[in-house]
Amino acid sequence: MDPIDLPTIVDRCRAGDGPAWEAFVRHFQGRVFALAYSYVGDREDARDLAQEIFLRLYETRAQWLAGDEFLPWLFRVARNRSVDYLRRKKVRTPAATAGEEEMERLVDTAPTAETRVLESDRRGLLHAALRGLSAINREIVVLRDVHGLSVQQVASILAIPLGTVKSRASRARIELAERVLALSRGRSET
Amino acid sequence: MIASTCDALRAAVIDPLERPGGGLTRPDVAAHLRNCPDCRDWLEAFRKGTAAWETEPSGALADRVMAATTGLDDLLRELPALAEMDPGPGFAERVLLATSQSPAPDGWHTRLAAAWWALVRRPRFAWEVAYVAIVCWVLIFGNPVRAWEWGASTVTAAARERLSGPVSELGADVESWRQRWMPGEAQAGSAPPGPRVENPVVQAWQAGARQIERARASVVRIMEAAWTGVSGWIRRVVDVIFPPRTEPDAEAARSAQ
Repeated sequence: MDPIDLPTIVDRCRAGDGPAWEAFVRHFQGRVFALAYSYVGDREDARDLAQEIFLRLYETRAQWLAGDEFLPWLFRVARNRSVDYLRRKKVRTPAATAGEEEMERLVDTAPTAETRVLESDRRGLLHAALRGLSAINREIVVLRDVHGLSVQQVASILAIPLGTVKSRASRARIELAERVLALSRGRSET
Repeated sequence: MIASTCDALRAAVIDPLERPGGGLTRPDVAAHLRNCPDCRDWLEAFRKGTAAWETEPSGALADRVMAATTGLDDLLRELPALAEMDPGPGFAERVLLATSQSPAPDGWHTRLAAAWWALVRRPRFAWEVAYVAIVCWVLIFGNPVRAWEWGASTVTAAARERLSGPVSELGADVESWRQRWMPGEAQAGSAPPGPRVENPVVQAWQAGARQIERARASVVRIMEAAWTGVSGWIRRVVDVIFPPRTEPDAEAARSAQ
């Protein structure tokens, strides 16, 4: 990801600057797509979802938060959109916030043929291990360890207590490490 | 060295989130647990005392600690690489095309303009404009059909006059047919002729026309009064700005003297 002057880009996008919006899309497309992929686990669905997220961002660009609050807000928008997308895929009525149990039901963890091919490399192995986590643990690891948000920001985005994020993050990392080791062993044996 | 290894292992067990691995490898941890009875006891006490981990089967905790402390460092270094994925060729263009086709409303003026254009681009907008224009015309200037001496009452009167012959002949034919084929019914249905009743459609039309005429007269009266007031005000303003010249008359009077 090339470095950009994010505050300037955000300000120009808020003012309706077309080239700034294009720069924003090109800069964040990989990140938004990766986040969408972590929710839906399928490249085609992730592309549609990422486009929806960008459309939502474009529609609300006049209300973008400025400064340090922008990235957490972007992730919150992307997360809410992803949950809504999963709900629609399951033909469910959208609601404001998805709880932990609901997320467990929403996420489809069955790997597709494409994802099986992708999992042939190390990244694919990590994705496979992530998909094996529970939905809330996966969200915490993705937001905290993959995208580098702080514990407070993760708690705010997921609307759960700070202590829950800390304890969950600890257990989720251990669980992920176990799954990675298990998958690695399984591949080396085959 | 031993004390620092104990501290690192315990810190990693207590809070693997903040101190993943504690700098220890899996063989280090295993060797240390074999040689350090304090840490074995501590780990056992930790296992028993930690409510969240009480349900772990015997030996599972040690395995989990191993997994967490040995592979976690590398894993945490690898995870940020997943923050970006290539969405494939043409994705940004697709997004930009979608957003260019649906411009987002920024302020109230943009929203107003967008709403106006959405209204104008509807197929029936021309019909609506024509309807509103005709209503306004009739309210202000009266019924143009009547003004051309071709109102509905004129039409109905002309139609009644022209069609009276054929209609009465047709009525006589129908009456004779009824008397021939349904004599009882014809007698029962033949009511005595009463006063002539005007067609209700024509009555409604005439009543509406009278209402419209009254409304038009009111509007015209109001507009005339308003124009009189405005024109008087304009005249006064013009008089103030450009006062009527009196000097030439004075000079003329002096020259006459």
